Formats: sequence, structure tokens, C-alpha cells
Amino acid sequence: MNPPDADVLTHEALLARVRPRPDAADKLRAQVRYPTDRYASAKGESALHGAILGSPHPHARILAIDTSAAVALPGVHAVVTAPDIPGRTHYGLRVIDRPILCADKVRCIGDPIAAVAADTLAIARAACALIRVEYALLPVVEDPELALAADAETLHEGGNLLHSVRHGWGELEAAMQAATHVVEDEYETARQMHGYLETEGGIVEPDGAGGLIVHFACQHPARDAEVIADMLRLPAGMVRVIGTPIGGSYGGKDELTIQPVAALLAWKSGRAVRLQLSRPESVDLGVKRHPFRIRMKSGCDAQGRLLFHMASLVADTGAYATHGPEILDAAQEHAVGPYAWPALAVEGRLAYTNNGIAGAFRGFGAVQTQFALERQISRLAEACGIDGLAFRRMNLVAPDASGPMGQVVAPFDGPRRVLDVLAEHPLWQQRRPRDEGRYRHGVGLALVHRSDGFGRGGPNAARIAIGLAPDGAIEIRCGFTEMGQNLIDTVRVLGARLLGCAESDLRAVLGDSARAPDSGSTAASRATAILWRGLGRHGAEWRKRLCALAAPPLGRMPDQLQAGEGGIRGADGALLLSYALLAASLGDALPELLISLEAEETPSDIAAAHYVFGACAALAEVRVDTWSGRAELTRMVIAAALGPVISPQGFLGQMEGGAMMGAGLALTEHLPTAGGRYLARNLDGYLMPTLMDAPRFEIIAVQGLPEGDEIGPRGAGEIGVNIAAPAVAEAIAAALAMPVRRLPVLPEHILDHLDMPEGAA
Amino acid sequence: MMRIEFELNGEPRVLETPAERRLLAILREDFGLTGAKPGCEVGRCGACMVWLDDLPTNACLVMAWQLDGRSVTTVEAIAADPRSESVRAALAECGGLQCGYCTPGLVVTMTHLADCSPRPDAACARAQLAGNLCRCTGYGGIQRAVERLFPTADAGD
Ligand code: FES
Ligand code: FES
Repeated sequence: MNPPDADVLTHEALLARVRPRPDAADKLRAQVRYPTDRYASAKGESALHGAILGSPHPHARILAIDTSAAVALPGVHAVVTAPDIPGRTHYGLRVIDRPILCADKVRCIGDPIAAVAADTLAIARAACALIRVEYALLPVVEDPELALAADAETLHEGGNLLHSVRHGWGELEAAMQAATHVVEDEYETARQMHGYLETEGGIVEPDGAGGLIVHFACQHPARDAEVIADMLRLPAGMVRVIGTPIGGSYGGKDELTIQPVAALLAWKSGRAVRLQLSRPESVDLGVKRHPFRIRMKSGCDAQGRLLFHMASLVADTGAYATHGPEILDAAQEHAVGPYAWPALAVEGRLAYTNNGIAGAFRGFGAVQTQFALERQISRLAEACGIDGLAFRRMNLVAPDASGPMGQVVAPFDGPRRVLDVLAEHPLWQQRRPRDEGRYRHGVGLALVHRSDGFGRGGPNAARIAIGLAPDGAIEIRCGFTEMGQNLIDTVRVLGARLLGCAESDLRAVLGDSARAPDSGSTAASRATAILWRGLGRHGAEWRKRLCALAAPPLGRMPDQLQAGEGGIRGADGALLLSYALLAASLGDALPELLISLEAEETPSDIAAAHYVFGACAALAEVRVDTWSGRAELTRMVIAAALGPVISPQGFLGQMEGGAMMGAGLALTEHLPTAGGRYLARNLDGYLMPTLMDAPRFEIIAVQGLPEGDEIGPRGAGEIGVNIAAPAVAEAIAAALAMPVRRLPVLPEHILDHLDMPEGAA
Repeated sequence: MMRIEFELNGEPRVLETPAERRLLAILREDFGLTGAKPGCEVGRCGACMVWLDDLPTNACLVMAWQLDGRSVTTVEAIAADPRSESVRAALAECGGLQCGYCTPGLVVTMTHLADCSPRPDAACARAQLAGNLCRCTGYGGIQRAVERLFPTADAGD
């Protein structure tokens, strides 16, 4: 038994610290207005309605577009096609390959060709239907592996290979010779849909001064503003993007969606334009989780020491790059796991196809390879006759070892600590698979670590600001958006702790490119950590600044003052000047402290490698109905080592929400294509978990960090997905002795397995 | 176009509108009541939930012609009704919401369940709430709110 660890918060302890979100009351009374709730411009004029004409073909050349009939339709105010774009016609992150409106070619169903703004949505749609487009159909590229063949039809100039990776170390051949147990298999993960309940949409309006205001859900307002300004050849700063609050994103609204089209319509018509995708349009055009095919071969010696690991990945990125390259990078990095491999070889390729568009999604490339890796590890453990937990524990890298790419990483002992916690858990200790006739039960264990922030060379820098508002509120201004992760609470907790004021003194100013500096994207589980570092490193400076400003009116020396709760206090703690009065005394000369954080990156010169990792281990319990083949997740215990918990509510919510999404990926969620078309276009054909599918959750926070850690909290935004998918897969494997090779594990896979003669797997 | 008389949040209303327009669109576009949210528009997600003659109903599935002579209560009215207070408190305190987009629909369904007599037990409430999807919370907080609000015949597992 380990001594009880003061840094471990049990589920009950976490629950006891949960408090209502600052925005809960408004959300519960439906008083929060999402971008898609706006039907009028700020001045109250009712907005025009936009509609997009998307491609009905997955791959075709555009020969001609005739919009004359649409333009002539009464009630139509603007019709736009690619030639109407005055500036940059394409956008993208690393690779600028996505047309705002297609001019010469379409590469997936729904690819936007034209858009209309009209008095009503019905007229806008009717006008779209009047636009004549002449196409020459091209062969549809469906299979990522075939897409990479020399004779494949290509989507983009330069071919279908978007990105490839390769890394490794050690003596592979010798290690393979030395291995007693070798496991080799091929795994597949499906295309998952984000399923945010608010589809892409919002309103764009002229600001009356030659610029535009964009109210559209997004994760990075400053970048979106830049893309739109470039498109319209407007000076930066003339486009203001307000990207919050968001009715769910999970990565799906990280890159721009249809804001540029809406902006172009508003620009052309000179009116506010409202545009929102219907659910089927959103399914067609929105990004998805990358489907992966993964081959792995791994081996260990007779005592269970890992010797070598080989992984080969092929992923389907669909029509455009968006975050694809970074996702393949993450997949490769996380294919290694927190395990010590003396010899390693990982390689991967990412192919363009006409199967929609794949992009950023919580879990980001890592979850796919983590599922396969955890299967490999469990099977090796089984081959050695060692229990999965002990096997993992004995094969962990040392806390101060280099990272999965061989890079220098921040020392971290999370993987060992989460395993230690679960080793004592009753669910693990009493884990025998149970067979109750019709139902079989099993408990699976998985372990993952995952990176924070973007890899080396990525957009890791951030700026945030602390300012005093005219009403005396201390504003924490950042470009991050609130998507449900409880960022407002995080700002309050960290602000109060690190600036010495009361939570009620603070106001979070989020997600508005005109009111907050560019913090980078609200992605990669980075917002909390960046606030922690920024406010932590500059909080003292801010307090000094306030004291200096308060000194003259108070007639004291700054060092006799302190910035505290409610205002400036004397050395004895007595309140001398409230923040409101201080602000009033300063008039227009209100202070703002701009904080620039350099990218926190590994010093190693390895592209895309990460510096910071968090870790999770989980136990999943499933009940499989052998009649229907349906596996039900009944219980899930997650131990998360992510450093100090800042917002218990946010932490719990991110872990549970992420875990359910990962369980969905493992059990029901998949969006197949045929001929480049999605086979489901709404939530009736695509099955996201309901309350009836939710397990009993137990979330345990393992808080402590290694001595001298300067990084602080690791993000909780994604790792719930990362851990849940492999844990559920492990549970099904344990319940049925089934070689789970693909996600989701559908009833037909389970029934096929049960039908199989003993030992044929 | 057809003429429809109905009651909206306790007030009589008259509407001239195409017969096949959806109640969800009417609420949002004609009355500025945006508490009911579009999510799927096929009756699957529950984000658009209202009471139609006091029963939870997907506003995306109700057409204008079905409204005549009926009464519609939206979340704006329900959230102001003391009967929803325990539901809102439970969801807030248990962490039953995140982005909040599903939340109005949940308040509408749960307030109805909490107001039923007898109150359904937790298992029954869970089953009824399967029509309200939430993509953010993983249902952890919603489940805790359900357990707090409804007698737990199915406590344990
Ligand atoms: S929008 Fe009505 S149920 Fe989804
Ligand atoms: S809180 Fe976002 S969908 Fe429920």
C-alpha cells in the first residue's frame, strides 16, 4: 500500500469543490445569446439571410457558373462567387489550400461554390437553386492508401500526399531477434463527428466605418479577423471578430468555417448577413476526426521488458489540409506512449481524398494511435502472464527521461502516479471477467500521456492583458473563447490568487479581437496553463503598478500600499481606495499590462515535438449483451495527473465530457462514406451517446507535480477522450477475450466474434 | 399563408404564416424567443424543446398548422416559473451544463418531469431525458442533478 497522498483528490473531494459556473444562471434562464441567436444587426435592422450553394459532387472540375437567374430573383441582395473576392482567395494553417469559394474545382460534397444573401432564407435557398453550375466529373478518390498510388487522380497540384513523418532509434533488427513475445496487428479507427449542438453560424455586419463585425463561434478570433481582412483587402483591425460564447466546438470550430463567406456577403450587400448551416450542411462541410489505419508490431522479452515497437500509420485527411499535418505529427508522437522502447520505428502518411474534410478534434491524432498502442501493450502483458497494470508500470520511461521523439521534456511522473492510484482501486482489484449467461462483464485498463500546446515550431506564443476598467473592474483580457470549458471561472480563480484581489473584483474579457490581445488558439488544452503562467509571472508587476498609481491620490509611498481585495490597502490591510475610486481618479489614463508569453517549447531541435505532458489512466467496466452484441459502458474510473486543479467544475466537466466522447468513439460513433458521400447527415443516423449510455463516472485528480516544475497545470481539455477510447476497447477485449482491432466496436463485430469457433481469433 | 390563433407563454397570439413553417422558426424569427435552439431539426437532440399544451415537445417537429388553438410555453417562461427553480439549482450545482446550448431544452424537459405527480423515479427520468442530447458534459453533472431531483429507485447498479 502506498501512503495516502495528500495531492490526490477523490471524486467526492472534487464534487465537494464544484460550484456553479459563473454563467450558469444566465444559461439556465436562456439569457445567453449565441452567435446563431442573432437575427438583427447591433442597430436592430433585421439581417439578410445567407445561403451557400455547395457542390453536389465529391470531385469535379467547374466549367461554368451562371448566377444571372439568382441575381434577378426579387428579394436577393447579393450573389457571390470566387471572382467577387478582392483579396486572398484561399486559407489554411500550415498549408493554404482551401478556397473560400471554389473557382475551378470542387473536392468534396458541400464545397462552397456560391452564396446568396436575401430577405428571407427561403428566397436565399431558392436563389441558390437557380444558380447553374456546369461540372466535368472527376474520379472520386476514396481510399487513402490508393490515393497515394502513383496513378491516382490527384486532388491538389503536388499530389495526394499531404504530409509524412518518420522517426525512431535503436537496433530494431537485433531487438526483434531478442524478443520472446511479438504482437503484430492492424487497427482501424473511424471518422467521428464533433456533434456540437450549435451548428456553424452567426452574423456579420458592417461597422459603419468601413469595416466589419463578425459574430461567429470560433476558437481564435484574431486569426479569423486576419483571414477575413486579407480576403477583403482591408487593413488589419478593420475586421472585429467576437467568437464567444460557443454552443460546443471540441476543435471543430478551430479553423474558420463559413465566416469568410458570410463576410463576403455582408461586404457585397452592405447589410448585416446571418448565415447558419443546417445540420445536414454542417455534416457535409464540417471537419471530422481523421480515420486512421495503423499497423503495429511490438515485442518484449520473457520477463516482460519491452524491446521494440514499430508503427505505420495512414490517415485520411479528406479534401483540405486544415490541421491534418499536426494531427499526423501528434499521432506519431503518441504512438510511442509513456513506455521505454529500446528500439523504435514510427512512420506515417497523410493522404488527401474526396471524403469530406478531416481536421482538429479533441484528442487530436493521438487517440487513434493510443488505442492501437494500448491494445499492443495489453496483448504483450497477456503473453507474458503479467497483469496489465504491473506490466505498464515496469515499462514506463523514467520521469526525467526524454520524450517520445527523443526530445527534452519537462520532467513528469504522472504516468506512474495514476497507475499507483488505480492499482489500489476496488474495481481493479476485483476485476475478474464475469459471465452471467446473456451478459458478460469485463474491466479494462488503459494508460495514456498526452501533450499540451502545439508542438515545436507551432503557434505557441500568447498574449494576454490585465487592465483596469472605468468601473473599477480588473479585467483579464484574452483572445481565448468560452466554449463550455468554464474559462470564466478559471480566470476568476487564477486572477484572485495571482493578482491578490477578490473574485468579485475581476471581469473576464474573452474572445473579442477588438478588446483583447491575440492569445493564439483556444486549442491544444492550453488556455488554463497560459493564464496560469502569464498571471503568475506578471501578477506582482501588476500589483506594483496599481500601488504606484494609487500613491499620489493617497499621499503615501507605493511601498506602503498593497493591491488587495476590493482595492488598495495599507500595510495594515485596511482598505484605503477601492478599485472603482482608483479608476475614477485616473480618468482616461487607465493602466493595461500587456503580457507576452514566449512559446514554451522543447529545447531539442525536433520539429513538432512537445515539451509538456499530462497523464491519465482509466478503468472501464462494460456489460456486453451476447444476444444483441451491444456493449454498454457501466462504469468508468479515471485518474488524471494534470497538476493542480484550478477550476474543479471545469476539470470535472472536461474529464467527464471528454470521456463520454471517447466512449462514443469506442462504441457507436462512426460516419462511413461511400463514393465520397457521408452515409448519415443528421443526429438520427449518427449515434452520439445519450444519458442512457452514460456510465457512472469516478474522476480522481492526482495533483502534485515534480519538484521545481515551472509549467504548472496541464490542460484537461482533451485527455478524457484520449483515455476513454482505449479503456473501453480494453474492457470489451477483457469481457470477451476479443481481439479488438477497430473502433467503434459495433454489435456486429461482437456477434461475429462470439460466433467464431474457439481459438479462431 | 394561414391564420393561426394560439397562446404563447400565457398570451393570446395571432399569426399569418405558411402552414408548414416550423414552430421553432416561428418562435425564434417572429417572436425573438431564441431559448429554443436548433440542433438537428429532426426531433433527435431536444435543444428546441418547449411545452405544447404542457407536454415537452420538439418545436422543430411542430408545424404552424398544428398550433391553432394550442398553448406553447417556452423556456423563457419556464425559467421564470418557480416550478423550475429546483431544476435550475440542481443543474447549476451539480455541473449539469457547460456550453449551455442544450441547457434550455433540458430545463424544459426536467421541469415537466419534476412537476409530474407522482414524480418519476431516476430510472424513468433518465429514460425520458434520452431525448435531450448533451455533447459537452458527458452527462456526469446531468446524472447527478437527476439523482438529486428524482427519488432513486435505481440507486446502486
Ligand atoms: S432541433 Fe428539435 S430536436 Fe433537435
Ligand atoms: S452543455 Fe454543451 S451541449 Fe450540453
